[in-house]
Parts: sequence; C-alpha cells; structure tokens
Amino acid sequence: MKHEMAQPLSGQAIYVVLMRELKRYWRAKARVVSSVAQSFFFLVIFGLGLGGFVGGFEGVDYISYMAPGVIGMALLFGSVFSGVSVVFDRQFGFMKEMLVAPVSRTSIIIGKILGGATTATIQGIILMVVAGFLGAFTPSLAFLAGAVAGVGAMLLITSGFVGLGVAIGSTLNDFHAFQLLSTFVMWPLFMLSGAFFPIDVVPLPLQVAMLCDPMFYGVELLRWCLLGTGTQLLGPFGLLISIGVVAIFDILMIVIGTFQFSRAQI
Amino acid sequence: MDNISFTVKEGEILGFLGPNGAGKTTTLNILSTLLRPTSGTATVNGHDIRTEPDAVRRSIGYVFQDTTLDIDLTGRENLDFHGRLYGLERNTRQQRIEEVLEIVQLTDRANNFVKTYSGGMKRRLEIARGLLHHPKVLFLDEPTLGLDPQTRRSIWEHIVHLNQEKGVTIILTTHYTEEADYLCKRILIIDFGKVVVMDTPDNLKARLEGDVVTLLFKDPAAIVTFRPLLENKEWIRRINIVASGNNYAAISRMMQDHQNPKHPVADNGAQFGGETCSKCLNLLVDNGGHRIPEIVKLADETGVVLESVELRKPTLDDVFLTVTGRNIREEEGSIVDMVRRHRIMQQARGHGGRG
Repeated sequence: MKHEMAQPLSGQAIYVVLMRELKRYWRAKARVVSSVAQSFFFLVIFGLGLGGFVGGFEGVDYISYMAPGVIGMALLFGSVFSGVSVVFDRQFGFMKEMLVAPVSRTSIIIGKILGGATTATIQGIILMVVAGFLGAFTPSLAFLAGAVAGVGAMLLITSGFVGLGVAIGSTLNDFHAFQLLSTFVMWPLFMLSGAFFPIDVVPLPLQVAMLCDPMFYGVELLRWCLLGTGTQLLGPFGLLISIGVVAIFDILMIVIGTFQFSRAQI
Repeated sequence: MDNISFTVKEGEILGFLGPNGAGKTTTLNILSTLLRPTSGTATVNGHDIRTEPDAVRRSIGYVFQDTTLDIDLTGRENLDFHGRLYGLERNTRQQRIEEVLEIVQLTDRANNFVKTYSGGMKRRLEIARGLLHHPKVLFLDEPTLGLDPQTRRSIWEHIVHLNQEKGVTIILTTHYTEEADYLCKRILIIDFGKVVVMDTPDNLKARLEGDVVTLLFKDPAAIVTFRPLLENKEWIRRINIVASGNNYAAISRMMQDHQNPKHPVADNGAQFGGETCSKCLNLLVDNGGHRIPEIVKLADETGVVLESVELRKPTLDDVFLTVTGRNIREEEGSIVDMVRRHRIMQQARGHGGRG
C-alpha cells in the first residue's frame, strides 16, 4: 500500500497507541507478576544450584553473571509478545478502529514499538531491582551510573524485538502458531544469548550460533552496563560491536515490522 | 462487486439490503478506503476515495459489524483514543466525548471497563465513537445484528435521532427487511454483488400491487391438486409454494425453473412470504379480501381442507423475493445458492487482489 507509507507521521497517533500499550500493561498485573516470579525463580534456583557448582565467570559470582541474562530473558519475551499482540488486535477487531482512522500505519506501528519497548524495559527495571536485593550487584556510584546506562540499553534491545514480534504477528492468522513461535524463535534466541554461560566455554559450532543471535549482543551490553565485564572474544571494541549489532538489528526489524504490518489485510 | 453505482443525498438514510455475502460490507470497505476498488471510483463528501483517502477517512464514521472496541479500556478511554487518533484538540475532545456519551445515554457507565458492557451498550458506544469526530457520513454495518428486539428498537431510535436532529447522513447495511423498512429513506437491494433495485420502501412495496393471501393446508399433498385450479384465475398475479428451507426442494425448484420457463414458478419472482412453511401457498391477489370467500369455496368444492387463511399487505420480504427470486432468510438453506455465492466470492478474490 504505497499511499499508506507516504502519509506523514502523526505525533498524536504515536502517543495514543503508546499510551494504550502502557495502560494495558499496567492493568495486566497477573502477567507482570508471573514474569517477575519466573525470572526470580531462575535467579534463586539456578543461582544457588549452578552457582555452588561453577562458582562464577569473568571474575564475578554466578548469580551476578546470570542476572543480566535473566533480565535479558524478560526483555526478550516481553518485547516479542508485545509485538505479536497485533494478532490479538486483529482478532478482536480493534485493528480496524486504528486502520480506518486518518493516520498512517507507520505512526501506529511506531507507537506500538515504543509502547512495547517501554513496557518490556519497565519489566527489566523491576528485575534489576529484584536481582539487586538478591545480592547480584555491588551497590556503588559506578553501578548506579551503569544502571542508568542499562535502562538505555534495555530500550535499545527491546525496540528491535518488538519489531520482530510485529513482523511475525502481522503474518500470523491465529493463536495456534504461538507455541511454534515460542519453541522455535524465542527459546533458541534466549538460550543462545549467553545468559547462563560464557561463549568461550562452548564448542566452535555453538559459538558461531551464539554470535548469530542478536540477543547475545544484548546480554553483552547489559553485562557491560551492570557488571562492567564483557567477553574477551569480541576484543577491545566489544562494547561498540555490541551496540552496533543491536542498533542495526533494531533498524532492520523496525523496517521489516512496519513493512509487514502495512501489507497485512484487516 | 459488480458495477455498483449509486448516490446518497446529504441528510439521507440509505440502506443496503441483502443476504449475508451479498457484498454489502465490501462496498462499505471500499467507500471507507479500507479496500481499494479494482476499477471505478467514488467520492465521499466530495473527496475521491482513490486519491484522497485521508480526507475521506476524516469525513466518515464507521461502525463495523463486529465489535472493534478495546474491552480492556473503559468506555471513555475508547472514545479518548479515537478522539486523539482523529487529531481533536483536548478541549474539543473532552466536550465531544461528553456530548456523544449523552446522545447514546452511556454517561453513567463511561468509566467502566467495556468488558462489563452488554451487547447493546457496546453497540451504542461504537455508534458514539463513530460520531465523535463530527463525520459527515456515518457507515453502520449491520447495526443491530445479534441484538434482542428491545435493544434493536432502542438502537433504531438512536439512529433516527442522529439523522433527524443532528443531520448526519447515514449509510447502513442490513439483512433485516423490517430494519430497512423502518430506518431507510431509500433502499438499495443488493444480491451477489449487484444492485438489483433502488427505491423508497413505499415505492418498492407499491410495485407489488395487491395483497398477499397465505393458505395453510392441512395436508401438504393437497397443494399439488389445488394449485392448478388457481393458476387460471386472472385475479391471481403470482403463486408460490413458500420455501421450505429444504435443500432438495430448493434444488428441484431451481431445476424446474430452468426446464420449464413458462411455468409460473419460473417467472423470476413468483415467491412470496417471509417465514418458511412446507404446508403453505402464497398468492398475490388483486383485492385480496374480496377473493378469500371465492378461494375457500373452491377448496370446499374440491375437498381440500384449509387450516387457515391469512391476508396481509406485501412487505419488503415479498419485495426481496420478487426482485431476487430468493428468500432473504433462506440464505443458508440452499446448496445451489451456496455454490453460487462461493463461486462469486472466488471470482471477486481473484480479481480483487490486495486492498
């Protein structure tokens, strides 16, 4: 739909779609609680269980090493599902209300992406606090600065994954594909992200797979911010590489998501 | 859709009447720029749907057939969302929200979540939302589908009020003939993507001169013996076995139509009556009241037992049957129609492509 893409962006439309995402997130308390609890169990049980066994990586305790990974998991699942929720909007009809309005689809999708990124980041911040109470981070001024940078990193990471969710959600026609999405997209992305183990302890083929996972760079970025550590494998420019890969992934996914969404039939 | 052409006057209520799948919603989707026409064009409020989709969208309110509310938001939040999407300034927006809530009498429930609303309340909220941005034209797609009679009546009152007091031009679709009759100034009967006829309800009914006399036989078999006796009466304009809804009957009737075009049934429009009944015969009769004694006498003489005789003025149901040859309520009844509709839908998809 070329004429759709040519329409100007509407700040009001972006804002209202974003606000709707926030309201819905805030009201779905059960979802927030269950997601936080899930991450909490990971931190405590894996942290204690595996931690007692492996001790730690990259000079920090295992629970500290794992905390950015678990935050990454919450960001990943939260943002992709937030994007995929366009399926629900279509199924329950609200999509028509948005599409018949005199605003471009691009405005709607930008609102959706900002909203999804914001809610997933809120989720990440909650977990950061929880992990802090569990002793994963050393309270210091340096950590505080890192945490602020971490919030920025979270927004950067989630934007691309909301875009991925929108791209997938725009092509799905029913809820049945959710299970497939979860098994074949989300879990591999999460498990290859290096949340639980460093990249240099696994065999080469797995290392290659991990380097292909955008979430790997996301978790790297979070570790830089929250722990001040990073894998040696990416070399001295590890931080820049991670930011670069995540940013490129963002742009790519937002473009693809917008394109798929604009093409989707009502 | 196949070569549809019509105009709607400002301040009018125009109704599309036709069975499910006739192409009513498709027409509205094209007019609202949700779908692009494969050929032809239209102007809404002076704006071309192909070249000025934004201006068209700004001029219209569209109340969809299925609910398009966010049930996790309150009524007021749904309206606020809409107001912002249409770029209304804060003051105008808040003022308009109160106004439209007042119109549909939802002010006291405005802060409740929509998931707690009844079907009728949701419908009213959607109508309110459609009005929020002062559209010149309001599209209502099956506004009372699935609502109980009382709620339907109240929605009708709201629609009439909007049209008469607020001067909103309304285009609605329906497959309820009584709804079209009650609400619409003009009706466009649409079937298989074609406009069959367009006129005022009164003119449409006036096309069927005479009265409808329905005979209910004790024994359905008697219809076969009695019918030929009626066929040579010049004061009987049309005769029809009231559709039974039985697939076999529908198919054999259609076969009969093709094989014997001179047969009265074949006269495309020989069917009358709203409800389906296998023991009934419908007659369109000049001066029906005076002819009933004659019909009863004829039945007595031939030993046919009539259980009841009903006399009424033709309704839009009869008009629909006459102009389309089908009963509007029978749409699921006939395999022939289903096959035909399926084929037409496929053609439409093949040509239509992406919107």
